[in-house]
Amino acid sequence: MASVNAAPGGLTGFIDRGRKIELQFILMTILFACVAFVVLTPMWQILTQSFQVSKPGEAARWGFEGWKAVFTETSLQKAAWNTVTLSVTRQLFALTGAIFIAWLLARTDVPGRKIFEFVFWLAFFLPALTITLSWILVLDPQFGLLNQLLRGFKDGNGPFNIYSFAGIVWVHVMGTSLAVQVMILTPAFRNMNSAFEEASRISGASTMGTMVRIFIPLMMPVIVAVLMLSFLRSLEAFEIEQILGTPIGLYVFSTWIYDTLYQHIPRYDAVSALAIVMILLCTGLIFLQRRVVGKRQYTTVTGQFVSNPIRLGKWRIPTAVFLGFMCIIIVGVPMVFSVMGTFMKLFGFFIQDPWTLKQWETALKDRLLARAVGNTIVLAVSTAIVAIAVHSLIAYVIVRTRYVARSALDFLTWMPFTIPGIILSLGLLTMFLQPQFRPLYGTMPTLVIALVISGMPFAVQIMKSNLMQISKDLEEASFVSGGNWFHTYRRVVLPLISPTLVVIGVISFISSARNISQVALLSNTSIRPMSIMQLDYIAEGKYEVAAVIATILLFMSVILALVARVFGFRGVGSNQ
Amino acid sequence: MDDYILQLEGVTKIYGKARAVDSSSLQIKRGEVFTLLGPSGCGKTTTLRMVAGLERLDEGRVLYKGIPVADPANRIFVPPHKRNMGMVFQSYAIWPHMTVMENVGYPLRLRGVGGSQLRDQVAKVLELVGMSAMIDRPAPMLSGGQQQRVAICRAIIYEPELLLLDEPFSNLDAKLRNQMRVEVKLLQRRLGITVLFVTHDQIEALTLSDRIAVMSEGHIEQVGSPSEMYDNPATPFVRDFLGQTVVLKGKLSAGSDGRVGFAMTDGASRGTVLYSKKHTLKEVTQDADAFLSIRPEDIQVLPMAEGGLAENSLPGKIEALLFVGDRYEARVLLPDGASILLHLSRTGGWKEDQPVQLALPPERTHVWPA
Repeated sequence: MASVNAAPGGLTGFIDRGRKIELQFILMTILFACVAFVVLTPMWQILTQSFQVSKPGEAARWGFEGWKAVFTETSLQKAAWNTVTLSVTRQLFALTGAIFIAWLLARTDVPGRKIFEFVFWLAFFLPALTITLSWILVLDPQFGLLNQLLRGFKDGNGPFNIYSFAGIVWVHVMGTSLAVQVMILTPAFRNMNSAFEEASRISGASTMGTMVRIFIPLMMPVIVAVLMLSFLRSLEAFEIEQILGTPIGLYVFSTWIYDTLYQHIPRYDAVSALAIVMILLCTGLIFLQRRVVGKRQYTTVTGQFVSNPIRLGKWRIPTAVFLGFMCIIIVGVPMVFSVMGTFMKLFGFFIQDPWTLKQWETALKDRLLARAVGNTIVLAVSTAIVAIAVHSLIAYVIVRTRYVARSALDFLTWMPFTIPGIILSLGLLTMFLQPQFRPLYGTMPTLVIALVISGMPFAVQIMKSNLMQISKDLEEASFVSGGNWFHTYRRVVLPLISPTLVVIGVISFISSARNISQVALLSNTSIRPMSIMQLDYIAEGKYEVAAVIATILLFMSVILALVARVFGFRGVGSNQ
Repeated sequence: MDDYILQLEGVTKIYGKARAVDSSSLQIKRGEVFTLLGPSGCGKTTTLRMVAGLERLDEGRVLYKGIPVADPANRIFVPPHKRNMGMVFQSYAIWPHMTVMENVGYPLRLRGVGGSQLRDQVAKVLELVGMSAMIDRPAPMLSGGQQQRVAICRAIIYEPELLLLDEPFSNLDAKLRNQMRVEVKLLQRRLGITVLFVTHDQIEALTLSDRIAVMSEGHIEQVGSPSEMYDNPATPFVRDFLGQTVVLKGKLSAGSDGRVGFAMTDGASRGTVLYSKKHTLKEVTQDADAFLSIRPEDIQVLPMAEGGLAENSLPGKIEALLFVGDRYEARVLLPDGASILLHLSRTGGWKEDQPVQLALPPERTHVWPA
């Protein structure tokens, strides 16, 4: 070994005036202030707006009319009732189905379970609007394929009508709830020690009896958690209700807010008051979930265990057929019908010689669509870049530093989870209508801000768990070896977290590209992304172009989801 | 200047209200292996991390080669990457995204060495631990022992004058641990490097160290060579922490020939007086409560003689006798009702239930205040 004793720099004369700590502290405080500002301002705006009863353009006037409307107006009470009944019905079907399917995938020897699990995972990434459009093709009362088949291609309506309470429930269960619940429950179910079930079997219980008496009670904490999460998400559901409910006058909270704002005289006060009720409701649900789950520990998962699959015997093949059928419904239908729709002369009309390439030609020449594609790419790329930078920084401050306000920061990043998308959109809209932010109104950065906020809870969470898995020793070893902060970050930290950064980027990209409710109120024609254009076109009955957009968004989501999977993203519940 | 490479002066670390390290002072000589020994939570790792610069001091100061590297009172703090010390972490902290070459070469690369010179030096240092063949192996493919060797190489490659070892053997199995201890000792002798070593394992501390500091609850209890510490512990904590000790309860009684008298107060031997040449009493007061301690291996076990007990002896009875090959292990019941584990020679013809007498040589016992 040649002598290389000189440290970079030198030992003597190194005086710490405390400046470094102060600089770090200032930077972290700036970050904290920014997060607090973007998270809290929209909520504050909504709160003040709910007491501001003057019409737009008039001088400010304060009053309680908005709040009165919330508690007296029948249309609103109907919307509230619809929201609750729709959510409950959906969860009833979705959770029952998801528990059963997740149990089959995790605990039994059903053939092809790996493939089925992958399909359910993939279904999580399909855009809700694309799914809705596909199901319209199948279940529209007049031209829906299934209805036409059942009535023998005669005129008139078939037995199914997608524009109904049942239709909304169906699309939600098959399109959103089932996939996400299976995705969270399956890994949790798999981690249970099978000795619990085997003990029940030896005691004389059947497979089904064991599932009902032993398995479900043991898994109750995770089931309750999933139920609460799904219920929360269903309170803020927007686009499916907007497409399928609004035409028949069936409103929920979110669509009522949207439509009330698009009337001749927008009623900001009533909408804001309702928004506050919804935020309180969601926050209450989260605390309820934390209490329920907090009481019971996951004692079923121990360090060492065996997980022997349950033998299904003669039920193996029928079960596999059932799961295959489910996969066709949740992934096959959206994929096949959205593509099929783009090649039809008239959307849904399976007449003689119905096929054409004209839709693609028209769509690709459509300058509005070209602009929307451009907008979506700009929006999704900027959101992904900002999300990677901001969320990893926040997570780093929370996990790795001793910043005094780090737990407050943690709480702030979790808060957007309680804000329904349309309400975040409303809050930011109100904020950007204020004189001091007015120049930003109707620009792309407003959409990026909305999407970065809405993605914050999830992204910060996965980044935090990734950082916690990286031992601090790895960084300290670099410091001791002579590496300064920058070297250590570039050579040690960055290479180790980069797979997670890619996952955050890709997930942010997908969710911004297909996002509707967070940006619905903020976009205008010049910055309108594809997803909103699709919503507008469906509302106007331009199904053919909408189908083209749906197909583009669908395949973009699927391809990027697969990229995220390659970089280690397995699911929201498993923490990689 | 004296020959101390590292000096800690009243070093204190406060977490919330707890003083994790409480005004500890140490002086470490150039070229020695100095061990911080103590149970978990005693502040030894925190002390090591303050030396490395990974933790900040709240009070006191650290001098490295006579120069203050941490002195909060004068706002002096040299960050870890400027201190030029080597450190091996308990978890080894081998970067999983790099090869052996990249891990070991990292400190040199930061010091401006590159290309073939870098590779030559890495190969040379790997040779010291017999790992030169694995230079291009990715880090995740290393076994525990190999990871540790890589960690040591990374810490010594830039020839630091001080090597910090944080429980480096605790993640190895017993056999490998013994082997690595010998390797580290040989390496240290060859390089003449000063080592500050942290462990909770007394055997490790006794075998490897030139000097040991035993720590407890943030304080340094005693500093000395391994044999000094073992034979003349300064506090009951050090006595009990290092090796086995038999402790008897009693009272002080009249001494003779400069020996302290100690009278048993419990059980059948009540009143029996033992004499001891060593004590840690501030003053010898008759009838004051006291303890007498002795290492089990210093107790001489003899068959009970016809004429009763010899001087400085206690009666005992073999409760259980286990033959372990080269010796017997016996559980011997003492007159105060306690039983102790003693090793007996295999040639004694011992039997269970046999009455024995236990001779406690005065130069081997030690009297402590209650």
